[in-house]
Amino acid sequence: MVGLAISLLLLGSAPPAICTAPPDYYQITLVPTRRVPTARLARGTARLTYADSPFGIAVSARGHYRYNVEVVVENLRPVPGGEFVAWMATPDLKQAVRMGPVTDNVRGRTEWNKFLVFITLEPLSQPPAARWQGPVVMRGLSRSGLMHTMAGHGPYEQEPCAVYGYY
Amino acid sequence: MPATAADSVVWRMPPMDMSMPMMPGLEDALPPVPPALPDQQAMGIPAARPSAVVPLADGDTLQLEATLVRRQIGDRTFVMYGYNQQYPGPLLRVTRGSTVVVVFRNELEDPTTVHWHGLRLANRFDGVAGLTQAPVAQGESFTYEVYFPDTGIYWYHPHMREDMQQDLGLYGNMLVQPDQDHYYGAVNAEETLLLDDLLLDVHGLLPWGDASPTHALMGRFGNVMLTNGVTDYQLSVPRGAVVRFFLTNVANARTFNVTFGGARIKVLASDVSRYEREVFVESIPIAPAERYVVDVYFEEPGTVAITNAIQAINHFRGEFYPHVDTLGMVTITDEAADPDYGEAFRVPRAYADVTAEVDMLREHFDRPPDKELALTVRVQNLPVPIMMAMEIDTLYVPPMEWNDAMPMMNWLSTGSQVTWIMRDVDTGKENMDIRWEFALGDIVKVRIFNDPKSFHPMNHPVHVHGQRFLVVAMDGVPNRNLVWKDTAVLPVGSTMDLLIEMSNPGDWMAHCHIAEHLSAGMMLGFTVHGADTRP
Repeated sequence: MVGLAISLLLLGSAPPAICTAPPDYYQITLVPTRRVPTARLARGTARLTYADSPFGIAVSARGHYRYNVEVVVENLRPVPGGEFVAWMATPDLKQAVRMGPVTDNVRGRTEWNKFLVFITLEPLSQPPAARWQGPVVMRGLSRSGLMHTMAGHGPYEQEPCAVYGYY
Repeated sequence: MPATAADSVVWRMPPMDMSMPMMPGLEDALPPVPPALPDQQAMGIPAARPSAVVPLADGDTLQLEATLVRRQIGDRTFVMYGYNQQYPGPLLRVTRGSTVVVVFRNELEDPTTVHWHGLRLANRFDGVAGLTQAPVAQGESFTYEVYFPDTGIYWYHPHMREDMQQDLGLYGNMLVQPDQDHYYGAVNAEETLLLDDLLLDVHGLLPWGDASPTHALMGRFGNVMLTNGVTDYQLSVPRGAVVRFFLTNVANARTFNVTFGGARIKVLASDVSRYEREVFVESIPIAPAERYVVDVYFEEPGTVAITNAIQAINHFRGEFYPHVDTLGMVTITDEAADPDYGEAFRVPRAYADVTAEVDMLREHFDRPPDKELALTVRVQNLPVPIMMAMEIDTLYVPPMEWNDAMPMMNWLSTGSQVTWIMRDVDTGKENMDIRWEFALGDIVKVRIFNDPKSFHPMNHPVHVHGQRFLVVAMDGVPNRNLVWKDTAVLPVGSTMDLLIEMSNPGDWMAHCHIAEHLSAGMMLGFTVHGADTRP
């Protein structure tokens, strides 16, 4: 088994060293999709820390959190003729960012409210594309993506979801 | 307590987003404490005046009085509280190193004190009821000697029932001028901005809890934004002006994300010092009790809005949505600013003296913490629908609560049902059972973890009395541009390493500065042993 540690960090300046493990609450567990046989036993995590900011927390002028993302993957075995590429995207996939091959020390940052982090297997022979072409190997959802409507649940179970646009 | 409760005051449900359905089972629920409100029909209450600037030299004396005032908020008038009949209280302008005497008199029915937030002054004048002084009852006085050891922007407020007294208007700024030239860069104008919010409905001020605060879960968010006590703050500046704003968040619970309509912003300083290096930013997230000093460059003529721009959360729909509050308007005239400081603005300055001071402590940055705190909450006897909703809702807890997304649930929670907790990880002691002991000159590393798996996690602006500290790391990431602070916000799920310089002897407190969390127990005590050798 080959272990890969992928750091997908701050765009621009070199990221600061992490002296202790960041808290796990908002970390994104990357789950193998089983679509690539060599990756079925892979494990991974996307770790979030706030982007560099004089305020401790980092937010944009519109109030979005700004996160650095660090991905650590284990047991992701190389595939001849292919390379694993990391991406981030909004849950509806309307916006996506190619973070880069997992063999590189790619740096990236996000300020989407809810987002996916995923790894695809792309053909080595083709130039980098704006959208992935190969199969999704591992994927995870930001914890904010778990926030869902309360309609139809608990004390609101009499509130029909459809009224609020959910079906 | 407080004695302002009137027989005629009744609870009214707080204003809600009308797209959110009433929570089943809570239609008739009320907070389990009586409501309290200053008598809105009281006669002979003087109209409050705008804040006055009070220059004070070393040794001067100020008379400060807390009274009822009649305040105009928008087009409505309310009976509220005020210092020296002003909103905000008078702006004290002093020079670093000076000491002034403040003879405080309380004419309110509520007992109160005055806390001089951020100042490393003598312990007996810190204004903490039950720790450094007895409450000042109606008609009584207390004389404070207020020492200003550090340049910057500070503020004063009560340290009793802040949730109500501060919210009703008891706050003011202290601007401590540097005792050296060129401390900051040159600017065309200076403005102090006190940011607040107030909770109103069509009938007026929403009552506060009498024996215990309401809104104990999230703190009391207002729905009307106040800048320097008014809803229509305005400023006019010439084209090309560089304006220095001294920002203070005096709200009970709200963290603002302040923007200046796209004008360039440069951060110079925070609570107790300048940064090592000035930094350009898009916005200023400022938690309760924090302060920031920023320069803003108004390059082009026109009008820009000062805003609070956030991604609010609708918990019912499970969505983020953009929300903008207007905090004020700046008109930039066609006339050119003279002198033109635009070029100087574009060059961020570095402050070697700040770095030199920080360097003396760097050996402590990476060592294990001396103390560890976990922040959590305990609840009891909350209505069952709230408990059910909270269990569903905690699939995702935002790092920061920028808006009151559950106003009814929040309103129904009181200090008798909610206990916010600072827990010493080593001893298991909680809140004021914690009494740390230090010696003067100690450098103490405190690691604070905001437990995301509690019943209702929330961000906490942690304030340390009487000392100053550095935030040396957040979530294990070292801070590369340090500034001395007295208050720092800790998001949910995060870990913050503070390096506290125990420079001021006495019995002190550290606590969450969300007023309702403080009233719900979230505070600890510590003693710094040693002789006070100040003149």
